[in-house]
Amino acid sequence: MGRFCLIALLVCSITSCAVVKEYDKVYLNDEAMQLGFRSSERFETTFQIYREAAAGANGGKSGGGCGCN
Amino acid sequence: MKWIVWYFLLQAPIVLLGQDTLTTYKKRILEASELETLFSYYNQDGPNAAVTGGLGTEALTDATSTLVLRVPLNEDDVLTVDTGLSAYTSASSSNINPFDGNNPADAYDASSGASRTDMLVYFNPTYTHNSDDRNQSWSANAYVSSEYDYFSLGFGADMVRRFNDKNTELAIGAMAYFDAWNPQYPIELRPAFEGAVQGYTPNFQPFVEENRNSYSLSLSLTQVLGKKVQASIFMDVVLQEGLLSTPFQRVYFGDRKDFIVENFQLADDVERLPDARFKLPIGLRLNYYLNDIAVLRSYYRWYTDDWGITAHTANVELPLKLGDRFTLYPQYRWYTQTATDYFYEKEEAISSLNFYTSDFDLSGYTAHQYGLGIRYRNLFSQKRFLIFGLKAVDLRYAHYRRDTELNANIVTLATTFVLD
Repeated sequence: MGRFCLIALLVCSITSCAVVKEYDKVYLNDEAMQLGFRSSERFETTFQIYREAAAGANGGKSGGGCGCN
Repeated sequence: MKWIVWYFLLQAPIVLLGQDTLTTYKKRILEASELETLFSYYNQDGPNAAVTGGLGTEALTDATSTLVLRVPLNEDDVLTVDTGLSAYTSASSSNINPFDGNNPADAYDASSGASRTDMLVYFNPTYTHNSDDRNQSWSANAYVSSEYDYFSLGFGADMVRRFNDKNTELAIGAMAYFDAWNPQYPIELRPAFEGAVQGYTPNFQPFVEENRNSYSLSLSLTQVLGKKVQASIFMDVVLQEGLLSTPFQRVYFGDRKDFIVENFQLADDVERLPDARFKLPIGLRLNYYLNDIAVLRSYYRWYTDDWGITAHTANVELPLKLGDRFTLYPQYRWYTQTATDYFYEKEEAISSLNFYTSDFDLSGYTAHQYGLGIRYRNLFSQKRFLIFGLKAVDLRYAHYRRDTELNANIVTLATTFVLD
């Protein structure tokens, strides 16, 4: 947990380190580089929420609903 | 842990209220309306059904169909309407009443009676507004879903701020769900069953509280780390309260006499769980553009809650470009969790306990998921069907296996069209 917090803080603290101009973002703008999950993953996320105790922190739903089947 | 929460909370208003320069050219957020159709088929089976106290078939099949319509209202605003239905057949539904089938009742057979099928329908509209300089956006959404024994109503809002030449993005969101149960208790615990079996007098009390409310606060920070690498950190703070037990999940006590009808053991009680739960998941994504063929997508999540569960999730995906239009993406996901403090296998719990469940979804286990997908993408939507221009097709399969012997498979087909 301590190691994870350290990584998290490092990511938070380097917000002014990298400035990549728009015209240099050809790789970052690649579809496969997008940080959100694909819409085709949503049903996998749904069944994982139902079958597993952990949920959230992935940009998806983190509460509500039954999930009892 | 508290100081991480404070770090986000203190940083958020400073960043969100900051000023940025205006851009002179304003590109539409969404050029044309888009329609996305999604279909998935899911099946699972295993030997640890919660409806039969931790031993019994977990067979379930589900077919889900969803339509997502995105409509640009003007240059800045987009309305998204997401609606769908999910039809399922499950042992957990059918074995609420295991005696209504054609065969003798048995925990390892899903009863063929009327209770075995159900349908979930949902509707989820979202309105999004973007600022002129595209450095800010906010959205509001609603959610409503209904199935036979459960109704859910939710409201939420998100705000996103981009700065540092759009190299940094901070998002804050909140969501609240107000859900209501129509509790379905095991058939032998209903008043009509009283006296049907000599000596069977379970000490069962129906739940008084039938609502479940969930509140979540989500924070995320996305940062470009270089020309080929970017990362995000996510955190949700979730509080649930109300009826968090599932009313039809049986529990068998070790200190009570067993009653068996046909091949089926009658319940001693249903699961009893605390009426509040605090969840804290923290996730990290990191994507790296390896070369013109391969991209590495990675994800890790740490999770804890006040029911005694700690979990770790790791996911890695390697999209491989096959020419300009096709991408193949193999995926592996690893998940592990500890058991809740209230988990007991069949007949391990005793009747004097306050809280107990035999739901193996709350037990300690490790799971592996192997997936493979293929995506076709046509940026210029040249292939047309009437007013529909085909933009993308995504076919995905995943196999899920956990060490409690639960196995699951899921296939998803997602197709995106641009509308004239």
